[in-house]
Amino acid sequence: MNLKQNILIQPKAMKTLLNCPSIIHDPPMPPKHFRLDVDHDGIAWITFDSPKSSVNVWNEETLREFNHLLEIIEHDTRVKALVLRSAKERIFIAGADIKAIRNMQHVRVNELIWLGQAVFDRLARLRMPKIAAINGACMGGGFEVTLACDWRIASDHDSTKIGLPETQLGILPAWGGSTRLSRIVGVRKALDLITTGKLLNANAAKRAGLVSYVVAVERLDALACSLVRQKRPCLRFRFENLFSAIIGHLAKRKALEKTRGLYPSVTKAVEVVTHAVHGEIEKGLLLERNAVAELIKGRDSARLIDLFFKREEANKRPVSGGTALPIHDATVIGAGVMGAGIAHILASRGIRVLMTDVSNDSLARGLERIQGLVGDARRRRLVTEVQVRDTLDRISTTHVPVPLNRHHLVIEAATESMELKRKIFADLAARVAEDTILATNTSALSVSDLAKTVPNPERVIGLHFFNPVHRMPLVEIITLPETSPDVLATVVSFVQKLGKTPVVVKDSPGFLVNRILVPYLMEAVRLHESGISVKDIDEAMLEFGMPMGPMRLLDEIGLDVAAHVAKTLASAFPDRFSHTDALDKMVNEGHLGKKTGQGFYRYENGKEIVPTTHSDLPRHESIQTNLALLISQEAMRCLKEGIARNADDIDLAMVLGTGYPPFRGGPITFARDTGIIDY
Amino acid sequence: MWHSAPNTMKTPSLVIVAAARTPFSRAGTDLAHLDAVELGRHAVSALLTRTGIDPMLVDETILGCVGQPPEAMNIARVIALRAGLPESKPAMTVHRNCASGLEALTLAHAKMCAGQGEVFVVGGTESMSNMPFYFSRPAVEKFTAMSRARDFTGRAKAALHFRPADFAPVIGLKLGLTDPVSSLNMGQTAEVLSREFGITRDMQDAFAMRSHLCATQANHLLNQEIAPVLGRKVVATDNGVRADSSLEKLGKLKALFDTVVGTVTAGNSSQITDGAVALLVATEEAAAAHNWKPLGRLVSYAATGCDPARMGLGPVRALDAALHRSGWKLDDADVFEINEAFAAQVLAVMKCLTDPSSARRAGLEAPLGEFDPAKINACGGAIALGHPVGATGARLVQTALNQLHANDGKRAVISLCVGGGQGMAACLEAL
Repeated sequence: MNLKQNILIQPKAMKTLLNCPSIIHDPPMPPKHFRLDVDHDGIAWITFDSPKSSVNVWNEETLREFNHLLEIIEHDTRVKALVLRSAKERIFIAGADIKAIRNMQHVRVNELIWLGQAVFDRLARLRMPKIAAINGACMGGGFEVTLACDWRIASDHDSTKIGLPETQLGILPAWGGSTRLSRIVGVRKALDLITTGKLLNANAAKRAGLVSYVVAVERLDALACSLVRQKRPCLRFRFENLFSAIIGHLAKRKALEKTRGLYPSVTKAVEVVTHAVHGEIEKGLLLERNAVAELIKGRDSARLIDLFFKREEANKRPVSGGTALPIHDATVIGAGVMGAGIAHILASRGIRVLMTDVSNDSLARGLERIQGLVGDARRRRLVTEVQVRDTLDRISTTHVPVPLNRHHLVIEAATESMELKRKIFADLAARVAEDTILATNTSALSVSDLAKTVPNPERVIGLHFFNPVHRMPLVEIITLPETSPDVLATVVSFVQKLGKTPVVVKDSPGFLVNRILVPYLMEAVRLHESGISVKDIDEAMLEFGMPMGPMRLLDEIGLDVAAHVAKTLASAFPDRFSHTDALDKMVNEGHLGKKTGQGFYRYENGKEIVPTTHSDLPRHESIQTNLALLISQEAMRCLKEGIARNADDIDLAMVLGTGYPPFRGGPITFARDTGIIDY
Repeated sequence: MWHSAPNTMKTPSLVIVAAARTPFSRAGTDLAHLDAVELGRHAVSALLTRTGIDPMLVDETILGCVGQPPEAMNIARVIALRAGLPESKPAMTVHRNCASGLEALTLAHAKMCAGQGEVFVVGGTESMSNMPFYFSRPAVEKFTAMSRARDFTGRAKAALHFRPADFAPVIGLKLGLTDPVSSLNMGQTAEVLSREFGITRDMQDAFAMRSHLCATQANHLLNQEIAPVLGRKVVATDNGVRADSSLEKLGKLKALFDTVVGTVTAGNSSQITDGAVALLVATEEAAAAHNWKPLGRLVSYAATGCDPARMGLGPVRALDAALHRSGWKLDDADVFEINEAFAAQVLAVMKCLTDPSSARRAGLEAPLGEFDPAKINACGGAIALGHPVGATGARLVQTALNQLHANDGKRAVISLCVGGGQGMAACLEAL
């Protein structure tokens, strides 16, 4: 069956096709992935339980089996109701099998989309109450199948996460999700959920109207039984849906402003959702199919999916060759921006933290900063009142030396001064246990120089969090040749437990991310010096997909900090970095960026005063090529020098650490795809 | 007759390993925003931080608290969990009014003797700023009737029964400071002692001034006990101490409890204060096994009763019993910490300890002997530092040991009078 035929298939013909043996092959009986039990009340319990796997996913095989079960139920007169549930502890249905999709030909992907739509449509047409009992992750296709049910109920377990993350992978919900969701929760909530791809916990899902009830996992089945006897809920009339065209128009404009049209999946999703809200379901399904067919023609989706897997792997894979020990208590030295940020993220993940600094006043400021962070998270409903209290309770402070021999990990986050850090490490060595891991959060200083100051240097490691700690997903782990495998394994698993993505790099000036970023920033300054306006440089890179232009980034970091890092790198690689005096000049004049109100931009009360420079569009492309090339070049050098373990890590680090456009896959993938450098 | 095997087991000896407390702040000031749970959590958490011990080693947490907040019944358990002590380790709250903080310590000893644990976190917490206001019984009945009404009209009808007087709050703090048996409030019991033992206003004011000046002088020593509370303002010292206290200033204050001929003023009474104290205590063997260096040992202790209307005399009998059990003479002690509930009350106790006829009135056969009055409360007392009722007993232990170590002293005697007519005393030895 060719692609064209497939996507243009007439909706009315769907049901006929579904029963056509040439397309739906009868799966072997009994089904491998499902159990079907019909109890004496006439409730058919379909339990999704893929063998030898901890997850349930939709692929051709599971869809066909599920379809077959539906067929059995259709013909079984005993069956009065259907309940769909999962036997997995932490997963309901994780969605479509993306790994398989990534490697499929486009034709096959379109076929799979069609199959899913047909099967879920069959479910929706079943003339009986249908209940989805959700416990565990319910994402993408896993949620779309529940939208074809009458009731969705969820367990209050932590693992219950509901959402439609497809747009984050460059596609959109195409198994009826884009069509059915807006009819259930209204077009605005549907757009919010689909375009952001966010995952909601059970209570948030109930607030958003995605599920009707939230109960303890042990009570899910009982609730399902009682719902069977209740009247089926009819879809509420959504007044806002009458204005879907206007809402869609506004949402699309906002998305375009934000993404500059670089993420077509988002704008496409807005189009489909707003058009599919009225009329026949089949019309919506057709729109979904067409949109996906178009999206997968580009390479963006493939790159986003690759990146997703790289990140999943980095988030989960343990380090081989070492034993990871659990960490329950940690000390953070320094209560500044980084120290407080690190203490906050540790405490919010259940680790008891001792935060130290030289005075009570600096500790108090650090605590106030942490209170600000948790307060902010509370206002945005990311945490409960109890979680706020527990996080704060886990943080204790001291400005006098106390015994630390019970702490498994000490993270030093003091001011960036080698002398000071050496003093701290020497003092620490006397107070901690012999095997306490000593980590430093330096962003530029040499970890091996620090390691020399303590006995047992095999326990010294770099743990480079990025600012702001609670927002930045990347942590660079800097290893030395002498770092023990157990220490590395422990730290990697620790970072993973914090919900951050670890990337292991070698100790070298600037480590990985800053090393790649600095030449790019310096070149941007040089370009500016040569007469190109700040706005043009920033616009060019924004169009490339960077979340922030280089000049603005410099202002945010602080020009003094940037100049310092640049100098460190320039002295380490003397012949390579384009040198510029412009930064030093500005620093000497006291223009340090946003913090002083004057950098490359001017600020008043922390807000930028919009400059009135003209924008020179034709120039953008050459600026882009120039700067993007620099990033990729430096990334390739890091790869060759073995700073990172592999190209994937470099791509991942740049995307997560600097916001390098994910749809380009990362600097090395970009170099390979565009051929700008010999790969 | 029962033939029991001779008790060969040595009675375990309790040692105090470490101590930490919040600053003591006048009610309604620096720490008013923290309730008794937060204060206790701060003290216990600071204790764990300072010692760096594994919380798993703590067998039980025992805390004193007189006005337990209704939202934290068995406050010790709430504090223990929030301070990071393991769920598997129990916690209990004790109440012997003003001696609750000391009772927590002595109960730990009793548990050690009974083989019910070796390492304890003990202490006390009190937020007198957060003492609740109550509704009167009739008002509560009306509220109940209103909540039982089924519909709006029923509720409206029930609401009509309220009278303005129903909304006048019953002040929890006032209730707590009134003895229900004698119907005297604590200040009035101090007036009784002042009358009966001839303790003049001037004597009381002089004693109060001494408390403030001693506390001012011992500022450095007291600050060592404190784990600062960090907030928008760093609170690192006790804020009740008045370095500029003088007889003239104290003399200007009006008598509080007997406005016509009374002598007890706000200036010569203990302050209403927020604060918490936590002590790490262990059997001597356990401390040695963990390589802890104890500060001191509990040698003996006693709780005794007396006339509720003269509760201020409580320490007399208690001191007699505790000294008897330790085999010490009164003058053997290098440090005395007698809680300053009221200047009149401490002065009366001192008189009873030395003067034969006063001693007999307090229930002793003979006075306990001479002693140097300068040894009493050399770091100041509750008149200057304040008296968070549930916590003070534990602070006396901390302050007494702190003084012994600072001045190379050996023995300390502490005592408190207890509302309701009791006294409690303990003998401590520096290690």
